[in-house]
Amino acid sequence: MKIQHALGAAAVLAALAAPAAADDQPSAPAKSTLDVDQLFATTCGFCHANAGRAAGKGPQLMNTARSDDFIRNRIKNGKEGAMPAFGRSFTDADIDRIIAYIRALKPQ
Amino acid sequence: MRGHAKTLMMTVAVATGALLPAATANAQPVDTARIEAGGANDWLTYHGSYKGYDFSGLDQINAGNVKDLQVAWTHIPGHSTRGLQSMPLVADGVLYYTGSYSRTFALDGATGKLIWSFLPELDDATVSRQTHSPYTRGLALGEGKAFVGSVDGRLFGLDAKTGKLLWETKLIDSAKLTVGFTGAPLYAKGMVIIGAQGGEWPYRGPIFGVDAATGAKKWEFDTTSGTDEAKKTWGNDTWRVGGGGGWMPGTYDSATNTVWWGTANPDPLYDWSGPDYKTTGARPGDNLYTSSVIALDIDTGKLKFYHQELPHDTWDFDSAPGEFVSIDRDGKQYMVHPNKSGFIFVYDRADAKVENVWPIVQNYNFVKGIDPKTGELIGRRDFTAGKQEGVLCPHISGGVSWNSGSYNPNTGLYYKIGNEWCMTLEVVKTTPVTEPQVQLNIGANFKIANPPSGEIYGHLDARDPITGEKKWEVRFPEPPMASVLSTAGNLVFVPDSRGTLHAYNAQTGAELWNHSDGVGHQGGIISYSAGGKQFIAVTAGFGGMASDDFGPTFGEPYKSMPRDEGILVVYSLK
Repeated sequence: MKIQHALGAAAVLAALAAPAAADDQPSAPAKSTLDVDQLFATTCGFCHANAGRAAGKGPQLMNTARSDDFIRNRIKNGKEGAMPAFGRSFTDADIDRIIAYIRALKPQ
Repeated sequence: MRGHAKTLMMTVAVATGALLPAATANAQPVDTARIEAGGANDWLTYHGSYKGYDFSGLDQINAGNVKDLQVAWTHIPGHSTRGLQSMPLVADGVLYYTGSYSRTFALDGATGKLIWSFLPELDDATVSRQTHSPYTRGLALGEGKAFVGSVDGRLFGLDAKTGKLLWETKLIDSAKLTVGFTGAPLYAKGMVIIGAQGGEWPYRGPIFGVDAATGAKKWEFDTTSGTDEAKKTWGNDTWRVGGGGGWMPGTYDSATNTVWWGTANPDPLYDWSGPDYKTTGARPGDNLYTSSVIALDIDTGKLKFYHQELPHDTWDFDSAPGEFVSIDRDGKQYMVHPNKSGFIFVYDRADAKVENVWPIVQNYNFVKGIDPKTGELIGRRDFTAGKQEGVLCPHISGGVSWNSGSYNPNTGLYYKIGNEWCMTLEVVKTTPVTEPQVQLNIGANFKIANPPSGEIYGHLDARDPITGEKKWEVRFPEPPMASVLSTAGNLVFVPDSRGTLHAYNAQTGAELWNHSDGVGHQGGIISYSAGGKQFIAVTAGFGGMASDDFGPTFGEPYKSMPRDEGILVVYSLK
């Protein structure tokens, strides 16, 4: 893999996420193509073990009883000392895809 | 950005009245010679002295009377998000320590009475976006100042007598790069040395040298690109996003005017290259100087020599967390350094030539072994993308972690915690995310798992530091995550993860005393003297990147253990 490719892919992710704007609220493209599988392997899975299927440093996400609104708020605003705030990184459409990923999680 | 602008204007220090203990009246300044000597009454740098022993020469508390140890005083730092992870320091009867958010305290070592506190206002927006935050694992002392880093990328220089802020230097754009400083700085020869945190982020792991008098940055060594030689070991210029932070303090060797420092793993943590890692995968090549010990000229920051403990590390087994233990024996000058993999490297202190390598853990399979004569990895396990067969050992939290071991020159034994745990692993091809703020790049999904030998456990080993020969071992049902202290009183203290502080006979490993501090330990422990009395000071307070796995893995008492709490507990004899 060439670095140009790697950074290009990163830029794609970034574009899907948010511009480096002064505001913490990213502009919201109507549709997201965020690769949530990869997102868990880069970032989320560090705490949500087995790509969200098991409890680790963070809670198990598969079969969570939390509402979509709760998950959306937690992704955006985080929880001090536990969950980072990703409100600047993801659009609402991205977060919809993350929630859809969580709802679709099945045991391996 | 709003947060950044705010950062430039803030830093509010609350300095309270200077009621100084009598012990400080005729105190000599803390300088390089004094730290090198490591007087028994003090604890002047992270590991006690530059020798890296985590050993106290005091023997008022000893194997014969430790049964009479009791709590003398306590201090609560407040706002202990992710527990209390720091190593206290003591100079001339004054105890200094840090809590989360770089909260820094100076206390009368005999009574615990507050002398001053420094409570900086950090960039909350940046802190809220960080994963490995907001703990602060310690500070440094020198030239009448106390030095502490912050997770939003600053280094503070404080007046050690009053806590007044003398200077602050912004070293990292943490709002953009995510990383800041969680590790303690090192003071030596007019310089403050500090490394950026972690290897999980697509950054270049700088280690900084800062003028202790003014706060001016004197040099910066980028651990993934500090030399042309390094850049050539990263195919496709991947050094630009290589990781490699130096997140724990190294040490200083005045004989060679050298700073020794350990570096973190490369990024992403897990590569999908398979055996052809030199030419394919996420970061083709050896990835210098990640997972290495490096020796820098303290005046210039130029690389003098190094040893890469794990070429092309694809297991997240840093060299950053281990202490540097200087031992002279039979005319040879050694530097002993544990790697996170659970292998202990023994070097010639003149040039980092490998003299021996020995494992402290039983469960490892990332390699079949490491050549004790050359340090070469034998039978390394390089992954391709997808689910891996069996388990990978040790677990990502390490065969050893960042909690320090202790070398006792009286017994000649090195007391060190080893962790027996493994994990399942699925390697995933990833790309680094660098906008709008860099994100973790793990490169895998994983879950903690039992080792092939049976249940997970931890153990305190008493070993010869050069040969690795084991004299005794004490087992714990869960790995202890806090540092170890040994003393001239023939004692070894282990603060365990359940919250119990244990004292053992240093020669035999027999338990002589224990006491509950009420919450798990994952920080430092020291001994010092104030007013002619010996004290043992230990930090308690659980929660963080390794300990947050304990509840789901082990159940009680961790499931019910309070999180985000912290207390400094100080013991003395009745």
